[in-house]
Amino acid sequence: MFLAIREMKHDKVRYGLVISLIFLVSYLVFILTGLATGLSDLNKSAIEQWNAAEIVLDKDAQGRLPQSYLSAHDLRQIGKKGAQLAQFSTLVKSHNYKENAQLLAIKRQEFIYKKLPLQEGKKFGAARTVVVSAKFKQDGFKLGDSLTIPNSKVHLKIVGFITASSLNVAPVMYTSFETLKEVTKTRSINGVVFQHSGDKHLKLKDSRRYSIAQFIEQLPGYSAQQLTFNFMIGFLFVIILIVISIFLYILTLQKLPNFGVMKAQGIPTGFLIRNTLVQTLLMSILGVAVALGLAFVTALILPTQVPIKLDWNEIGIAGMGIIVMSLAGALIPIRQIIKVDPIQMIGG
Amino acid sequence: MQGLKLSAVSKFYGTGTGKTIALEQANFEVGKGELVLVVGPSGSGKTTFLTIAGGLQTPSKGKVMINGRDTATLTAKERTKLRLTTIGFVLQSYNLVPFLTVEEQFELVTKVKGHNLAPARFNKLLNDLGLKQLLRKYPSELSGGQQQRVALARALFADPEYVLADEPTAALDTERTLQIIKLLKKLAHENQKTIIVVTHDLRLEAVADQVYQIIDGKLSKQ
Repeated sequence: MFLAIREMKHDKVRYGLVISLIFLVSYLVFILTGLATGLSDLNKSAIEQWNAAEIVLDKDAQGRLPQSYLSAHDLRQIGKKGAQLAQFSTLVKSHNYKENAQLLAIKRQEFIYKKLPLQEGKKFGAARTVVVSAKFKQDGFKLGDSLTIPNSKVHLKIVGFITASSLNVAPVMYTSFETLKEVTKTRSINGVVFQHSGDKHLKLKDSRRYSIAQFIEQLPGYSAQQLTFNFMIGFLFVIILIVISIFLYILTLQKLPNFGVMKAQGIPTGFLIRNTLVQTLLMSILGVAVALGLAFVTALILPTQVPIKLDWNEIGIAGMGIIVMSLAGALIPIRQIIKVDPIQMIGG
Repeated sequence: MQGLKLSAVSKFYGTGTGKTIALEQANFEVGKGELVLVVGPSGSGKTTFLTIAGGLQTPSKGKVMINGRDTATLTAKERTKLRLTTIGFVLQSYNLVPFLTVEEQFELVTKVKGHNLAPARFNKLLNDLGLKQLLRKYPSELSGGQQQRVALARALFADPEYVLADEPTAALDTERTLQIIKLLKKLAHENQKTIIVVTHDLRLEAVADQVYQIIDGKLSKQ
């Protein structure tokens, strides 16, 4: 610590440059992580709000709710064990506002309805009423607004707002099966959601059970999107490793005479290695901390259309990853410190 | 047995026709409380002698005994510890850590070694070497002579049994040179230190307890 801090204070420009590089790459990692989390949330936050374990879908639907139609046989088998669900993608309008939305039908006596995280107003009850995601409110909709749906004469009234939630990148609206039937002119049940997994007594003929994690993976475009982000973030981790290695290698090369002098004085190699590790740790913590602050400011000032969400867990893991990569980048310079011969450095 | 002894020590570099003999069959012995001078011209093998005597490098042939221990039997870690606890080096190129102030050069010794000179002795050392006003300065802000004095003070600050100094007065004027060599002699006698100075400065011979001469790697007692 003693040498690390004094050296950084003395060579501010040199170490400032390395910190700036760590900061820039970390900032990019945090923004990408935030975007990955934000987009992931846009796809699945409604599903996570259900806090469920499994979903039963038509076995030919490839795990996708809108393509699934449960057979009468399987619905009889399931009985009242789960929460029935139907999904209809649509566009809704009110005055000058319009919004792409996922209209979900649920039953009032089942757990999804009971768990709806109401923010304002009340849950739907009467015919043609809906409770909608807070995203509607952010976009200008109000309680009591009447929503029109293309190719339908049915008007839906907003009676409540729930915590922002979306499915397949569109905010959700919850209503009753009866209201959905009025809108779509058909009555079907796309899936049944279970709070707990492992009911072995279910004898399904035309359907299969998916864990919620499997169901989310099957959302259109979700896996490709997340894999792309993960690939970019992973690549940035490798860049950090390479950048830190190169910079520390060059810094160490420049300092070899100093290391030689200190070794000649009897300063143990372990002390010099600890100094390099502490220096790397300090630089990466500083770079990560500044990047973190700026990423939060960026998230605040970005327009709401940009789906960025800085989740402390995700950001924490990314930040720790950067610090670990930086420390790994110090391994090559450490090898040089071990190998340095004081005689070669001081002459003689 | 206390003291430093070199027995038939040789140091070669390279092989075959490119072989260079830096030190040849050198015999040297010094006990506690002595100031020994090793005098020789540039390129005569003075620094090689000093670094071998201090365990910084191993001889090609012969034996180096420090306080009764053969340095060839020591591991690299043990040699590092020996340099930290027993030997103080003052090297030709001053060898101060460039990013530490004068005060911090001493602090580094304390951090690593854990103990050092008592404050009263340290203050006296700073006064004797004229370093009191320079404590906040970086090596790059000091003259050659000032850097040399700081390097000497740092070696003495660690309170080693042996001080091995390579041309410690090369950048000093006559008055300061004599002042410092007398200070080293006083330290050797009063504190039972062994001080070995390699130099080409013949003015110092009169002050030394023992004088060796080294020419073309051959060491002889005068």
